[in-house]
Amino acid sequence: MAKAPKLKDQAHIVTANHLTSGDVVYLTVRNDWSRDIAAAFVAPNAEAAAAWLAEAEAQAARNIVVAPYLVPVDAGTTLPWPIQFRERIRAAGPTTEKAAGGVA
Amino acid sequence: MYQYDQIDQTLVDERVAQFRDQVARRLNGAISEDEFKPLRLQNGLYLQLHAYMLRIAIPYGTLSSRQLRALAQIGCKYDRGWGHFTTRQNLQYNWIRLEDAADALADLAKVQMHAIQTSGNCIRNTTTDQFAGAAHDEIEDPRVWCEIIRQWSTFHPEFSFLPRKFKIAVTGSPNDRAAVRVHDIGLRMHRNAAGETGFEVIVGGGLGRTPFIGKTIRDFLPRQHLLSYLEAILRVYNQFGRRDNIYKARIKILVHEIGIETIRDKIEAEWQAIRDGALKLPQEAIDQIAAHFAPPAFETLLGGVAPEYANAFRTDFEFGLWARRNTFKHKQPGYSIVTISLKKEGEPPGDMKAEQMLAVADLADRYSFSEIRVTHEQNLVLPHVKQSDLPALFKALKAYDLATPNVGLASDIIACPGLDYCALANARSIPIAQQIALRFKNWERAHDIGELKIKISGCINACGHHHVGHIGILGVDKNGEEFYQLTLGGSADQDAALGDILGPALDTAQTVDAIDSLVETYLRLRRNSDERFLDTYRRVGLQPFKEAIYAAA
Repeated sequence: MAKAPKLKDQAHIVTANHLTSGDVVYLTVRNDWSRDIAAAFVAPNAEAAAAWLAEAEAQAARNIVVAPYLVPVDAGTTLPWPIQFRERIRAAGPTTEKAAGGVA
Repeated sequence: MYQYDQIDQTLVDERVAQFRDQVARRLNGAISEDEFKPLRLQNGLYLQLHAYMLRIAIPYGTLSSRQLRALAQIGCKYDRGWGHFTTRQNLQYNWIRLEDAADALADLAKVQMHAIQTSGNCIRNTTTDQFAGAAHDEIEDPRVWCEIIRQWSTFHPEFSFLPRKFKIAVTGSPNDRAAVRVHDIGLRMHRNAAGETGFEVIVGGGLGRTPFIGKTIRDFLPRQHLLSYLEAILRVYNQFGRRDNIYKARIKILVHEIGIETIRDKIEAEWQAIRDGALKLPQEAIDQIAAHFAPPAFETLLGGVAPEYANAFRTDFEFGLWARRNTFKHKQPGYSIVTISLKKEGEPPGDMKAEQMLAVADLADRYSFSEIRVTHEQNLVLPHVKQSDLPALFKALKAYDLATPNVGLASDIIACPGLDYCALANARSIPIAQQIALRFKNWERAHDIGELKIKISGCINACGHHHVGHIGILGVDKNGEEFYQLTLGGSADQDAALGDILGPALDTAQTVDAIDSLVETYLRLRRNSDERFLDTYRRVGLQPFKEAIYAAA
């Protein structure tokens, strides 16, 4: 089995897609899932992030969400701010005008 | 149009029932995501960046008004009231819920539609000329052959788990509007010295991370042998195509690695063994399929231009612009082919609201024998419109923002969904397309520039066909930020060519300005207004364009 890549020691949040709706969701401090990235629990370092992902994977195994993974975030901001552009779009929804009104 | 028989309908209905059961088992936990994923993909259901996406097959891009109405209704009932037409003449809904997916497929089955062959390592939905059965330059209606291929390929047991996906395109015209030279197999219909119609068979074309222009493997294949020859190609590919590396698994890599002569030998040997077997097409079978595509009941009209059309052309400037760009010569005197641009400047290319779909369905009923086509350039077509009806049609389309007179111009851009929707993308495509289209909104300038095919892909998989754009734009990720690499000189037509890389990638703002500079360079260099951007590029080469973009850097 391939070894998991070593995590950078930085803040992370956990994201996935909701199984039934497909919506983008984030794991919260209450151990449930929110569509709002502002509610995401920020794991402050690599060790905490790994443990947090393990919890998410257990929930995936219970068919609540699909394909959870860690998203590196800037911990210096008030709200979690994904470092990767892709994750910022994923959090906010499509940037095209037509879709903007429909983002959950 | 082809109408399902009982076998077709049963097959599609049973598929819906099977998928409904698979979804139920996924939702109750009986099967895992790993087990479910290949099953949902075989039914066109992807999990994209934001949500599930359902890709609907529109075989060879042909729709009835009834089917388009159903697509509108499904878009409202299960999605957000719109759909996105793709470069494979299909339609995608971007916000489908898993629990609704089987119901959406059941509604599709009621109008003889499905999502089969829109994903997975099978023979995908065959594509063709959007003007099939109507174009003045057509040798033979390619939809007959697309339907024969569909019946052969759907659920073909030997070819359901190929090394990789497999795409076939057919053109019945010498003017290739189906991009046949950049498909796994391209079929070009032509006549031999005896006047018989057959196929030039082209293999190993494709875009993606390793683009190739296809090579001719057989100059002339008699029609009755089409399926046996395709079967021979697929067998050789299935046996020798690589399965060790997903990026080297397409037939284009096999052709490149072992050479066209070797693969031709293998295919011909296989074909000799099966050519007169069960796949040899009897004329009655061909005739039976062809009957579904008989021309509609055209009126016998006099030659020359209809007075209503001529009058509107003279007196209505906007109509004149639209008629020049968006109509094409029909084989039947007094009729025209109309392309409905889904590229209104500033809108996402290929997107269509449900109310627009309903309007086009009504207009197809009134003006085009209830027929609609989808183009691989992400527009729609009404294939059979009386020229005398063109002014009324234009007025009706305008009321729904569907009369943009830009077909083939700079704002008629192919764009993949890009990072706004696609889980594979590295950069956004749609906003770049929107900005470029707005930059070329001035009709006078746009029409002066003339034909210019800009194609944008948000990643190296090239769903936006950037390799074959006169100007191609490839989105790349540089340290988490979007950059765009430009290529020049590509073409998907009968003179197919891959574009040349212009230079280092540019950021978003630079990219839109760069397109403007390239166009200005062309306008400065062209011999006259008849010389297209592509012609000028082929005459003068890359250097002057490169200097225009990078000289100041």
